Amino acid sequence: MAVNPLLMAALVLIYLAATLIIGYLGYKKTKSSEDYLVAGRCSHPVIIALSYGATFISTSAIIGFGGQAANLGMGLIWLTVLNIGVGILLAFVIFGKKTREIGHRLKAVTFPDLMCKIYKSPLLQYIAGFIIVISMPLYTAAILIGGARFIEPTLGLPYASALVLFALITAVYVVFGGLIAVMYTDAFQGTIMLIGMTILLVLTLIAVGGFTAGSAALTGMTDLVPKALASQGMTGWTSMPELGSPIWFTVVTTLVLGVGIGVLAQPQLVVRFMTAKDNKSLSRAVLVGGPFILMMTGVAFTVGALSNVYFFQTSGKIAIDAAGGNVDAIMPLFINQAMPDIFVVIFMLTLLCAAMSTLSALYHAMGTALVCDLWGRGRECALSMKAHQAGIVIMMVLSTILAFLLPISIIARATAMFMGLCAAAFLPAFAVGVYAKAPSTKAALCSMVSGAVVWFVWTAFFHAAEAKPLGLCQAIFGKVTLLGSPWTAVDPLVIALPVSLIVMIGLQYQYGKVQPAVVTAA
Amino acid sequence: MIFGIPDLQIVLGYGLALGLTLACIVYGWLYWNEEDKPDGS
Repeated sequence: MAVNPLLMAALVLIYLAATLIIGYLGYKKTKSSEDYLVAGRCSHPVIIALSYGATFISTSAIIGFGGQAANLGMGLIWLTVLNIGVGILLAFVIFGKKTREIGHRLKAVTFPDLMCKIYKSPLLQYIAGFIIVISMPLYTAAILIGGARFIEPTLGLPYASALVLFALITAVYVVFGGLIAVMYTDAFQGTIMLIGMTILLVLTLIAVGGFTAGSAALTGMTDLVPKALASQGMTGWTSMPELGSPIWFTVVTTLVLGVGIGVLAQPQLVVRFMTAKDNKSLSRAVLVGGPFILMMTGVAFTVGALSNVYFFQTSGKIAIDAAGGNVDAIMPLFINQAMPDIFVVIFMLTLLCAAMSTLSALYHAMGTALVCDLWGRGRECALSMKAHQAGIVIMMVLSTILAFLLPISIIARATAMFMGLCAAAFLPAFAVGVYAKAPSTKAALCSMVSGAVVWFVWTAFFHAAEAKPLGLCQAIFGKVTLLGSPWTAVDPLVIALPVSLIVMIGLQYQYGKVQPAVVTAA
Repeated sequence: MIFGIPDLQIVLGYGLALGLTLACIVYGWLYWNEEDKPDGS
């Protein structure tokens, strides 16, 4: 271990104590089910912005996507463009305000509940809840892995212990404090993340001689691009992959579009809009949210790519080789080798914060989906805090088990899969639901189901990265994928979202006019 | 090469990321005291 264990232990304990105290304050403010589910609908703008940002940015963004930037280059900066343009500006201004207004008017408490009340369809709530309960554990598991991967070498804990400890500590304040505790701790964790990523950027730029010198050095390393990547279209770490090549499809469709668009219809983020007291709060949150996201993903992708320069100058290897071929291990290795000991501790806290803030939101979203939207839909028991607490514990256990079963280098891909599915299944129905005067239930149901089904079929039978490990196509048809290149590299989102969108628009056009506008609580 | 980067697509990406961040700041500042519409829609 590179750092003083006493210093490490002391800072981690202080951080955990502070987190639990803040979580306790949230617990004390939680008096009703509405407090537990939507933070009483009166959150402060800075809390909303930091909570949204910290939930949005997980260890996946820093460890997983930072590692992908180290492997595939600076092209991932386009994901930052979408993270800010779509994930903040579009999400808050176009969707957030409408979602808040309708959520307040209809007294919706979860994303599926919102969809149910907009479309007056319990079936829609069941389907949305089912998709969340099935798919969200994958994303949750990826975040658990990201956090545990860093804790393992830094604290010297066995991987399994790191993972379980991580899951348990986060669950404590979510279970007891509900969304108020989650958002309070998110804001605290977001602040630490901001400090950590700022220091990471500064120290990395010092290590490589500044941004221009580091980029120029990285450009000079183009000949070192692994042959396996070069043959698939990678042209260097400071240039985009060859247009239409497998690497281009991976970077653009899976990593950039999958996550960049997927963020718009993520249930745990949509709920944040419903916690705002008024539209003014959401406008003010934009001011904080934009710079926050820039400092998270922009820094992670830049540092990830520039880590190649550091590794080459110090060991003669590129990042992926230095990390033994494991993309998810690049960022932790870089931090441990390139940063001063004290920063390893700070960055570990940053990662803990990133993981815990997202984990807590996902636990809350999964638990409430299980209880409010599936098990107890329409029943009074669905609003019982004890029932939601049990739901959160069940989903936490399932996610932890899944984390043990997933393969290595899965973090970024699992994140992109979850976000892609959210976009394909939820986005068209959500967008039409908040904006159309007479949203069609039939259109929303067909769009949601078609988006989810097409996404799954493309994932299992066409997209090689998932079809191969799943083995379903091999078992049924005797081959890894049904189509050859370039289709094997086209992300399921690129196929499923247009299908879902066309179904939604087509059926909305046909049936939408005959339905009454949503004006009253369902 | 701009800032050591030979590909304009990457430079454009960095420029847009910074520009959109600025847009967020300006938007938040302009609508700091935005009033909700009376009918809530």
